[in-house]
Amino acid sequence: MTNKLFNAIKGLNRDEAFKITEELLGKQVNPEEILAAGKDAMQIIGERFELGEYFLPELMVSGDILAGVAKRVKPYLQGSDDAKKHGKVVFGTVAGDIHDIAKDIVVFMLEVNGFEVIDLGVDVPVEEFVNAVRKHEAEIVGLSGFLTLALEPMRQTIDALRTAGFTDVKVMVGGGPINDSVCKDVGADAWGENAMDAVTIAKDWAGIAA
Amino acid sequence: MRNKDKAPLTQLELDLNARKKRFWDAATLKTPDRVPLACMDDYFCLSLGGATAATAYYEPEKAVKIYLEQIGQFNWDMMTPFGNLPGKVGEILGCTSNKWAGYNLPDNHEFQYVEKEYMSADEYDEFLRDPSDFTVRKLWPRMATGLEAFGLFPNLLVLSHSFAPISDLALTLGQPEVQEMLEKMLEAGKEMNKYNQIFELTEQGLNAQGFPMLGGIATAHAPFDWVSDYLRGIKGSMMDMYYEPDKLKAVIEVITPPMIQHAIETAKMFDDPVVFMPLHRGADPFMSRDQYAEFYWPGLKKTINAFVDAGLTPFTFWEGSYTGRLEFLQELPPGKVLSHFDVVDLEKAREMIGDITCFWGNVPAGTLMSGTPDDVGDYVKKLIDIFGDTGSLIIDGGAGIPKEAKIENVMALTETVLEYGVY
Repeated sequence: MTNKLFNAIKGLNRDEAFKITEELLGKQVNPEEILAAGKDAMQIIGERFELGEYFLPELMVSGDILAGVAKRVKPYLQGSDDAKKHGKVVFGTVAGDIHDIAKDIVVFMLEVNGFEVIDLGVDVPVEEFVNAVRKHEAEIVGLSGFLTLALEPMRQTIDALRTAGFTDVKVMVGGGPINDSVCKDVGADAWGENAMDAVTIAKDWAGIAA
Repeated sequence: MRNKDKAPLTQLELDLNARKKRFWDAATLKTPDRVPLACMDDYFCLSLGGATAATAYYEPEKAVKIYLEQIGQFNWDMMTPFGNLPGKVGEILGCTSNKWAGYNLPDNHEFQYVEKEYMSADEYDEFLRDPSDFTVRKLWPRMATGLEAFGLFPNLLVLSHSFAPISDLALTLGQPEVQEMLEKMLEAGKEMNKYNQIFELTEQGLNAQGFPMLGGIATAHAPFDWVSDYLRGIKGSMMDMYYEPDKLKAVIEVITPPMIQHAIETAKMFDDPVVFMPLHRGADPFMSRDQYAEFYWPGLKKTINAFVDAGLTPFTFWEGSYTGRLEFLQELPPGKVLSHFDVVDLEKAREMIGDITCFWGNVPAGTLMSGTPDDVGDYVKKLIDIFGDTGSLIIDGGAGIPKEAKIENVMALTETVLEYGVY
């Protein structure tokens, strides 16, 4: 029943996806099943992004469609989403930097690859990362930064995590000026050039075959 | 009697001319005597002299002095003006579309553009019906709290009737909110006049030390970037490729001619033939090749060619990764465009555009900040090995020299070129 929805989202057909969602809900189809079809479609979008077939427009359109589907399904949902996740990742753009696009792409790709991502947004103060790791018991932290001034807050965030006792939490960094020298310099465990690198690194740390 | 024209040039003038020639020879595909160094420096020299971005935005004359004291230690061939923004003007007008040091960012942070949807998708038709009216009455109030009273004006086209100055327009001018706004505008204008001298002061100071300055005061964009930056935001513009492709293209068509005209007029006003074109949303990771070909490249190509036809030199800064776009850059008019690269496959760039445009760049920012002088030297040598035979290589950091760069790394960049870059 939900196959048509899967195809509509995969095909980036917004109006069709919304129409089918409403039809399915009208036919009392299990809302969890509807959301599952959406997630399956996002998996395909993610794969196409990895292959270099899809880019920002497709990620944004599919994200927009999924949000619209979820909004329609929400009133029918009971209980919480207990789908099994690979691990928890706290992610954000560091203090002083308000760039969100690269961060959003990485968050998207980590989510479609089965990670639970706590997205702290942009211009995130050092303490907020530390508090989020504590609260959510996250195993992985991702620090994004586009500006060269992001180096110092990255270093400070990593230092603060270590000082707070989170020595086992793995930290990855990424963004415009980040390369191997910067990764070592700020004390991160790994760096990535793009969202696919982030997924590979996270899977490696979570002990999942890439 | 002393013939002014035949007076021997001073050493400073000779240095100035030699540096200028070195840069422009490389820029126009004529091999110079050595690889030129032209480093975009927004805040690096200011930082060295203990100044911050806030100094540049609020005490520009002090910033010019500090910049000029520091820049002379680098034997570069072409200088660019430091990062500037009229902080006080922005404050007076209540500008909310940017954040900057000394106002709502820490003193040492460069300004940041506030990315958002300034025009919603359902306003496309209204914009297309009358772009200027939409800009004045809808967009200005959204960019600055001090300009909100423009929203009280009647439709601008309605003000075309000959009684407007003594009727509708005058009625609007009488409203208290409008009067308050006009007072702020007057104050902002007076403040802005103080900033206008900065470029001239910088250039004079540089010339006095034997260094030329590349102006690029006139600025233009890829038309897609304009829509994406200033109207629809990145998410809106990217989704519009699917949801509103025709309207997106229509707006691109509409804004291109006035944007070109404005840059040409600015270049004439400042007698500065270089048009700076920071390009960002067409980088490899943002959109597919086909989307670039359909939505991005046609407008950009038209804009670049219009400047070349007007006798100007487009200074394109390809920020981000551009290997996938090299095939388009092959259509650039040979030797007429300054092409500054951030991230690109060097071998492919050499092969595909090495004979068409200069290669200006691209020591990675990360290496300048966190690498060693040897890392920097090795990268510069690699650039010279790959592009040296074109004679059109110009050395800089990928996105200029970041203010966080280590000075020993910047020295290594400079010295490697002086030693290894002689033709």
